Amino acid sequence: MSTRQVELPKKYHQAIVKWSERFLPDYDFLIENWDRFFPRDPEFRLCAYRELGMCTKIECGDMEGKPKFDEAGKMHPKQAGHLLGAIRAQASTEFGSIQQHQLTLARAQDEEEQVWILRMMAEELRHGYQMIHLMLEDDWSAVSDHSEDDMVEQILSMRTGSHILGAFNIDFDSFVDNVTFCALIDRVGKFQLAMQKVSSYQPMAESMPQMLREEAFHLAAGVVPLRRYMEKAAQGSFCVSTSDIQKAFNKWFPRGLEMFGDERGGGTNVRFGLKPMKNAEAQQAYIEEVEKVVRDLNVRFVRARLPELSPAEAQGVLEQLLTDHGAVRGISHEDLVHMPDSGFFRRRGVPAFELIGWDGESFAELDDYLAHLSRHLPDAYRAGRDFSQYVEALTRVHSGETTAAEASQEMPVLTRVGGVCPCSKSVRWVAGNGSNGADDRGSADGVPASTL
Amino acid sequence: MNQAEVRIRALEDTDIGDITALDEKLGGKYRPEVWERRLGYYMRRDPDSSSVAEADGRVVGFMLGEVRSGEFGLEEPTGWIEVLGVDPDYRGSAVGRRLAERVLESFRARGATHVRTLVDEEMAGIGDFFVALGFEPAPMRPFVKRF
Ligand SMILES: CC(C)(COP(=O)(O)OP(=O)(O)OC[C@H]1O[C@@H](n2cnc3c(N)ncnc32)[C@H](O)[C@@H]1OP(=O)(O)O)[C@@H](O)C(=O)NCCC(=O)NCCS
Ligand SMILES: [Fe+2]
Ligand SMILES: [Fe+2]
Repeated sequence: MSTRQVELPKKYHQAIVKWSERFLPDYDFLIENWDRFFPRDPEFRLCAYRELGMCTKIECGDMEGKPKFDEAGKMHPKQAGHLLGAIRAQASTEFGSIQQHQLTLARAQDEEEQVWILRMMAEELRHGYQMIHLMLEDDWSAVSDHSEDDMVEQILSMRTGSHILGAFNIDFDSFVDNVTFCALIDRVGKFQLAMQKVSSYQPMAESMPQMLREEAFHLAAGVVPLRRYMEKAAQGSFCVSTSDIQKAFNKWFPRGLEMFGDERGGGTNVRFGLKPMKNAEAQQAYIEEVEKVVRDLNVRFVRARLPELSPAEAQGVLEQLLTDHGAVRGISHEDLVHMPDSGFFRRRGVPAFELIGWDGESFAELDDYLAHLSRHLPDAYRAGRDFSQYVEALTRVHSGETTAAEASQEMPVLTRVGGVCPCSKSVRWVAGNGSNGADDRGSADGVPASTL
Repeated sequence: MNQAEVRIRALEDTDIGDITALDEKLGGKYRPEVWERRLGYYMRRDPDSSSVAEADGRVVGFMLGEVRSGEFGLEEPTGWIEVLGVDPDYRGSAVGRRLAERVLESFRARGATHVRTLVDEEMAGIGDFFVALGFEPAPMRPFVKRF
């Protein structure tokens, strides 16, 4: 493994540092205490990593076997446009997740878990940096009217609510969200990165290995605390219950499924050699991995609750609970954590806005469905704007005012900071920098979620 | 046992449960918190090198380690194999050897010039396993003082 480390031109590097001062205020604390929390780990460095010695031939699609592209200008404009959309969407997710994690970072009950999340946030900052590196290193003028400054400013001015993908527009309500997000949403990230590792665009492929190494830890930063919570819950803790974890899964899992894009799509990415799998195939692999996470959490719970059982006996108890949905030795089916049905609470893709329940059951009446959702989603989440927007859209779909497809396409609007400085530490460095691209206000650049 | 069924791959977060179970099968103790901590460590430090063997959808072998410099005054970048285990049902069919091949290849790619490990002489077979893999006894002796 050898890598090349690259810094952005100074003004862009500084813009990201400024951004972090506002949205990742504990960054300096992390760096100053790095050796205490992560002894012997290499120091964190805010830069882009490019892996050396990777495959130079296109690995899938129509051009398989041909040399990979080292410049976007050599690609078909449609291919390059698709790619730029993916880079922007990826950048948006990286910065977006930091904004979300920051909301509840301080609420961790355990210092180790908190520091893991903080490190993960710093690495997400680096991932965003890496995507901006891809935007700045090449000439995208054939497929985008935006100047470099505009592209960067657009990404750095997004807020929870204006990001490209749904999962990054939802507020966190408790630290259970921080770890569940890592376990479920970063896992989608891992799949995306693993697919982009074969990208026909060499700079993208070379950007993935280091990001994937970091992503592996992000998943552990989610799964390890969740396993510990299951143990605590089994021992009757008042601080966390499996119902809290279940509701967090219900909140995030549908959004994770949607990050793969429409179940019917993804063929273009494969043809262009940008990814090796279509959306449905990748989504299915993800579902199987989450099933494994859920099963492991339940084993952890049963073993903690019934330590006298042998491993085989504990597996037997779990099997019986999952088959009969009843109660065994004081544990009930509801005490465990389960995967919601893949049609549950969806707003994009094949089951978008269908009244499909948590267990896969169908509802005839909207009100019954909303009551069902209210039982399965966290209270704090239901009180927030993401849920109210969903309910509003669902109501319009079911009154016939709009179609599910149209409602799915209602993208969050990209807000530009315009002339107004959002805070004293804003990224308004673009002003006076030649081009402010004021004409593209509100444009989402035509990036469909399915490009990710 | 059909060897082709065994796949060697990088360690993943979803392996914690299986490794805990395999460790319990080998050592008789259920130690989930130990493996949560250890896996958290290796996933953070070097998720590429640590490897598992998977068959029938579960982990049947694992080898965890990382590259470090400066241990015991050994300045050269050294790959340390720190913990390993193969399911008794899958032993003797090169699972351990294939795990080692992947781990050593990754150590080399990370710049290691040596690979080292410590073997408990009371655990029969492990020393022979490493000798079969081309390791030789090193002129360093472990010492311990108990309180
Ligand atoms: C040591 C161990 C990893 C070997 O795994 P394995 O899959 O059976 O090994 P392989 O089949 O790949 O064997 C590789 C080589 O080692 C040799 N070997 C393996 N086990 C051996 C033994 N017990 N005695 C002598 N040689 C042995 C094999 O003969 C083979 O040599 P060859 O390739 O020249 O024929 C496995 O026995 C084990 O897990 N032991 C317990 C480990 C443990 O307790 N770990 C916890 C503490 S760290
Ligand atoms: Fe990331
Ligand atoms: Fe991540």
